[in-house]
Amino acid sequence: MDLVAELKSKPWLLGFGLFFGLGFLLIGGVLPGRNPTQPLRYNHAVHISNGMTCEDCHAGARGNEKATLPGIDICLGCHREPLTKSPEEEKIRAFARSGQEIPWVQVTRVPRHVYFSHRRHVTLGGLKCAECHGPMETRTEPVRRPFRPMTMNGCMECHEHRKVSYDCNDCHR
Amino acid sequence: MPRWGMVVDLTKCTACQACVVACQTENNVPCVEPEQAALGRIISWLKVLPEIKGAYPRISMQLMPLPCLHCDSPPCIRVCPVGATGITPEGVVRQIFARCIGCRYCTNACPYTRRMFNWYKPNFPGELQQALNPDVTVRPKGVVEKCTLCHHRLMQAKERARAEGRALAEGDYVPACVEICPANAMYFGDLDDPDSKVAGLARSPRAFRYLEDLGTEPKVIYLTEGEWAGGKEKPRQP
Repeated sequence: MDLVAELKSKPWLLGFGLFFGLGFLLIGGVLPGRNPTQPLRYNHAVHISNGMTCEDCHAGARGNEKATLPGIDICLGCHREPLTKSPEEEKIRAFARSGQEIPWVQVTRVPRHVYFSHRRHVTLGGLKCAECHGPMETRTEPVRRPFRPMTMNGCMECHEHRKVSYDCNDCHR
Repeated sequence: MPRWGMVVDLTKCTACQACVVACQTENNVPCVEPEQAALGRIISWLKVLPEIKGAYPRISMQLMPLPCLHCDSPPCIRVCPVGATGITPEGVVRQIFARCIGCRYCTNACPYTRRMFNWYKPNFPGELQQALNPDVTVRPKGVVEKCTLCHHRLMQAKERARAEGRALAEGDYVPACVEICPANAMYFGDLDDPDSKVAGLARSPRAFRYLEDLGTEPKVIYLTEGEWAGGKEKPRQP
């Protein structure tokens, strides 16, 4: 009751609260879209500790322009029969039964006007995946935001540091 | 470092416009409604320029494919206030769409009118939406666009050559218009390599550059057809 009376006498307090509340939500990335939820709680650390490499699931990360997110067939290659008791694992088979692909959300992406080739960076440039994607062998939770923000400054910093071409047209298209 | 250039043999060119269509498809050039086109707002990175010669009954028409001529001394890049356009070390006059502010100084500076402004939101009706080339960006409304000599193809060709551990060979990189030409009237290659096909043709006595008196030094070179380029006058050496 006191609070209502207080708000009536000082209406700007409500605006103040809304402004900071929403700001907190936005910056914290709690709003959907900023911080997407993956369809299942994929654990990178477990898979990597079992001897899997990035390319086993992300085909094309080395030899192609575009790396891929794994299709359901890749998951079913191991998980057609239960390997663990994890309910997350069961979700894969549920997707398969309904004839759906797993709707992974791509979190690391460059703008449409940028030409980015994995082959150019990984195979020809000799970069480790972790340089841009972070230490995935320690990640037990699904990826919800990019390890590095994909900004032009970020690209240029690395290009200058490594003394590789930073002609506009090498990246912009 | 190569200096990319093109040679168009006007004797061979049948003005079939296959190059125009290939360019539109390759580079996601948006469609423009007929009313907008009538206002001169059509976008075509490469057009076939008609030139009527003589008068009835001795009349003839010359048609020449006209892409951006990728001048060595381009007037368009000098007027850009934001550095959105420039010339690459390999001689391609580039346009960074994301940086362009749409002031249209460059469209006015280009004597060949080979720069176009996006007056409208990009329009790709129906199935064309599915046919967009993922290697080329779709330009938003309000920026200037132009022929990039299919620069994405150069980047891909370089990458492929490096992955295979060899140098870029002649024919690894050709723009879509040159690739499609059914009459083989267009040639593309390194003008600085004396052994290349284009360099040889550029030295031919038939070679001329369009409006070369302007001093723009275009890297698209035409080979004369019949009495084109000044009747009996001997064509100038490049």
